[in-house]
Amino acid sequence: MTSPKGEGSDLKTIIRACRLIARMNQARPEALKSEAMYYEMLANYYDRLLNARETGDFIAAHTVFFPSEIIYAMDILPMHAETTTWMISLFSGEIAEILSAGADLGLAPEICTPHRGLAGAFSLGTLPRPDVMLWSNMVCDNTAKSGELLMKINRCPGFFIDHPFHNSEEEIAYLMGELEDMVRFLEEHSGRKMDWDRLSEVVAETDKQIELYREINELRKVVPTPFHSQGFLQLLSVDYLLAGRPEATAYLETLRQELTDMVQQGKGAVPNERFRLMSLFLPPMYLMGFLERISQEYGAVSVTEPFFTYWGEGRLNPAKPLESVAKKSYMIPEAQMYGPLDERQLTRVATLAEEYKVDGAIYYADVGCRHTCATIKTFKDVLNDIDVPVLTLDCDVVDPTVASQEEVAEKMERFFELLEDR
Amino acid sequence: MIDTPHKNNASLPTLERFRELNRTFPHAKEILDFKQQGGKVFGWLCTYVPEEIIHAAGALPIRITGYPTEVELEDGTAYLYVNSCSFSRSCLQMGLRGEYDFLDGVVGGSTCDGARRLFDLWRKYIGTPFHDVLTVPRKYNERAHQLYLDQVVKFKQHLEEFLETTISDEALLHSIEVYNESRTLLRELYELRKSDNPPITGAETMEVLIASFHMPKELFNQWLRDLLDELSVSGIGNKGRVRLMIVGSVLENPEFIRSIETEGGLVVTDELCTSTRYWYDLVVIEGSTTPIEAISRRYLSNFPCARMFPSDERFDRIFDLIKQFRVDGVISEIIRYCVPYAHDLPLMTERLKAQGIPILPLDVEFGTSGSGQIKTRVQAFLEMLEAKKR
Amino acid sequence: MKTLGIDVGSLTTKAVILSDNGILTSTIIMSGDEAEESARMAMEESLSQAGISINDDLYIVSTGAGAKSVSFIQQKKAITTCLARGARYLFPSSRMVIDMGAESSTVVKLNERGRVNDWAGQDKCAAGTGIFLQQMAKLMQMSLGEMSELSFKAKSRASITSTCAVFAESEVISHVHRDPPTPKEEIIAGIYYSVVSRIMTLCKRAGIEKDVALVGGVALNDGVVKTMEKELGFAVLVPDVPQIVSALGAAILAREAMEKEAS
Repeated sequence: MTSPKGEGSDLKTIIRACRLIARMNQARPEALKSEAMYYEMLANYYDRLLNARETGDFIAAHTVFFPSEIIYAMDILPMHAETTTWMISLFSGEIAEILSAGADLGLAPEICTPHRGLAGAFSLGTLPRPDVMLWSNMVCDNTAKSGELLMKINRCPGFFIDHPFHNSEEEIAYLMGELEDMVRFLEEHSGRKMDWDRLSEVVAETDKQIELYREINELRKVVPTPFHSQGFLQLLSVDYLLAGRPEATAYLETLRQELTDMVQQGKGAVPNERFRLMSLFLPPMYLMGFLERISQEYGAVSVTEPFFTYWGEGRLNPAKPLESVAKKSYMIPEAQMYGPLDERQLTRVATLAEEYKVDGAIYYADVGCRHTCATIKTFKDVLNDIDVPVLTLDCDVVDPTVASQEEVAEKMERFFELLEDR
Repeated sequence: MIDTPHKNNASLPTLERFRELNRTFPHAKEILDFKQQGGKVFGWLCTYVPEEIIHAAGALPIRITGYPTEVELEDGTAYLYVNSCSFSRSCLQMGLRGEYDFLDGVVGGSTCDGARRLFDLWRKYIGTPFHDVLTVPRKYNERAHQLYLDQVVKFKQHLEEFLETTISDEALLHSIEVYNESRTLLRELYELRKSDNPPITGAETMEVLIASFHMPKELFNQWLRDLLDELSVSGIGNKGRVRLMIVGSVLENPEFIRSIETEGGLVVTDELCTSTRYWYDLVVIEGSTTPIEAISRRYLSNFPCARMFPSDERFDRIFDLIKQFRVDGVISEIIRYCVPYAHDLPLMTERLKAQGIPILPLDVEFGTSGSGQIKTRVQAFLEMLEAKKR
Repeated sequence: MKTLGIDVGSLTTKAVILSDNGILTSTIIMSGDEAEESARMAMEESLSQAGISINDDLYIVSTGAGAKSVSFIQQKKAITTCLARGARYLFPSSRMVIDMGAESSTVVKLNERGRVNDWAGQDKCAAGTGIFLQQMAKLMQMSLGEMSELSFKAKSRASITSTCAVFAESEVISHVHRDPPTPKEEIIAGIYYSVVSRIMTLCKRAGIEKDVALVGGVALNDGVVKTMEKELGFAVLVPDVPQIVSALGAAILAREAMEKEAS
């Protein structure tokens, strides 16, 4: 069943919105150049996917926290599955149709909306049909189990990367074996061969980008913080979609310079910074504009996101590209949510709260995300021990029917009042 | 209606023994005796934990299960949050309230989100002295088997350190024997359900299975042998309107099955973490395979959990059972927020449809007794199956 | 210095006038459709009770569901902050406030200084609220007071397993129509346990810490209070007029604002 909107219609909406925002940004002299660069990058990413048929490109749809470096190195077009649902929610606000299509497929309401929505979007034909479906178990069961149905809907072959639980040497070797198998799979189905030198280049680029993330994170420690509250989502998207791409490096370098300049001028992202917040998990996509407004109004800025922007230690070695790709998957901020939850993660949360001079934390309790919600109590206890209050916001990352703007506004206002009262 | 009312089953003292143990768990005499004699008890969760290793170390493996019925889960929910499956919350609550304080250790696998978070919180807030989580691959290829073997060996070493003992190959061989016997006996029990009028119901089988998780295997084997002996001369024949199979993840409340069977739906087989998935495959030692290699191989390629890839392996096995037990219809019980099984449902339903086998999908809370809404839907399903048969 | 706190709730609007000597008056009226109207009526009634007229020096703080729509106030404050102030004023040792209202329940945790550290609330579902109890009273064909009295006679409690108010209702109905019928006091005990369980879940989310103050209209129900104490394992502090605690808190916050302006 094809939606009357036609194939690729959701992508067209995203592209249009991104180009518009980029143009608006360029028209404002005081706007950060990096913002326009970011939206242009996004638009180009989706544009490439939209025109894949004409250009003869091979599309590999993939799930989140995926080694897309391998895909890029083989000159294949990656299509990031979950962010596409987020972008649809963010730019078109029309999530109900694809969610209900997901339900029609027999997917239970407890399956998280990014995955229900994704299956729905594919079944409606509003996304380009991928040539292969790639997925892994990072970081949860929904991701691990989504692939087979998507293969069926898209009538395409697929490959599942089994990411091990711990990061011992044996397990990293196992992961490398999985990656090798995937390369063979892609070579077989795409007719393209892996260019290992190219992968080394891509890995070198990713390594640069991770260093840039770290530098940008350091700059955010300053009071007042230079990076605006929802900015971290841009950093996230860049790694999801454009890891190892030169335009992403250019964006990050520009952003780093802008933030450095702001720090030197003592300029903050909001005029009167009152509340420095730690964000745990993802704010609802459909509330981006509203959250930015609230941020300006209350002087509340997210300065650190332990499991979204804080990279694990280590450098990538371009001389060992496959091993680097495997190691990178353990360094990704969110990857810390996958292995055993131990003292390291807990200490990190407390350390970051102190280093970033956090006043309070907001935990976005996404109703579909079981494994992150299961850490609410643990992180709350850790933060309360160092006298940082935590607001738990029940919400959904893309579905506006779970928590309305009014509800979120009321809870956040209450929380800011709580912080002010101290 | 099942022709044999419950009072007949009271004449099966061998079954009553299992019931008594279930009633008293976790303060069952069999466990208390073991502890009193200085034995160590290790709690395990998921069919991917190799029990034989624990047994060979001279310890008692006890499966971590939740409350036997649907209860208020305030503590479980406060810690794991409302969107973790009620099974994980139920287990955690029992742990938080001290019901598992008799455990010296807990062992799990990286099997699903509910299980791994349960173990994360268990470590932080309950802190059983020994704690181990094995990486369990999701594939069946040789590389996966290698990794899992590596994990099992590491677990064995960890256990040896903790207990200050060595687990010899002889001990492992002996444990394999004991556990294989268990599996063989359970298979015999299930074989009885293949007949037109099985001497044992699905609910009663579940009672036996639950007991098997909570007592020393040797004693269980003895009790099960006694039960099989008694059943062979009991003359009981349960009749039903249709033959059903229950599929799903965890099910521990026999009342759920009973409520289906009192409507006339004879549950002749099942595919659950607490039933066939637990006992189906034997550990096989052939050629130069070491005991630990054999154990590791069996556990990874055993009757699959929905987490494994590809899902066809699980579906193939389900179809095999459907054929073996001449099943008319399938009831799927999926606990709310059980994601792996929920994802399997559309694909499994399609395959069942292609074979003309009706399925009733129920989403339930862990421990449900199957009353109210569920009963109504079951009744309608049975009527539909009966009409189909005519 | 006199201040006025108004709590515009879904069922009732409460007003408290605070003076230097303590609470001057407290008023409870039924809420109408318009929050502005209800707030004004509550204010006028409390002013007349106190024998003072509205003047420029009266600092007014509003709170509650309808607080936003009230025009004549100086400040609006969150219900959680007001509950914290009100409960601490009445019970200086309180570290936790449980507010059981008509349509919602809120649990507030306080730090040593009486500031809000955390809260957990529930306002989407009828289970555990005053409205649920009213419905049950209708089903049992008794008054809330009669139900509470009878509950003390219960030797055990009927099982009501549904977490949903709608399904719980049908369970109660089946208990009533059972043959033989479940004894009334046991059904009531089951209803109260169900209500308290909802609150206990909120409490555990926030983390239980003594001393606990139990406020809101439902705190007038001795049977529920006793059930709550049994589940907590210790006694709770209940004010004489539990419905006005938020309004009192609002009045206290008004006083703090006035003191700040003066300095």
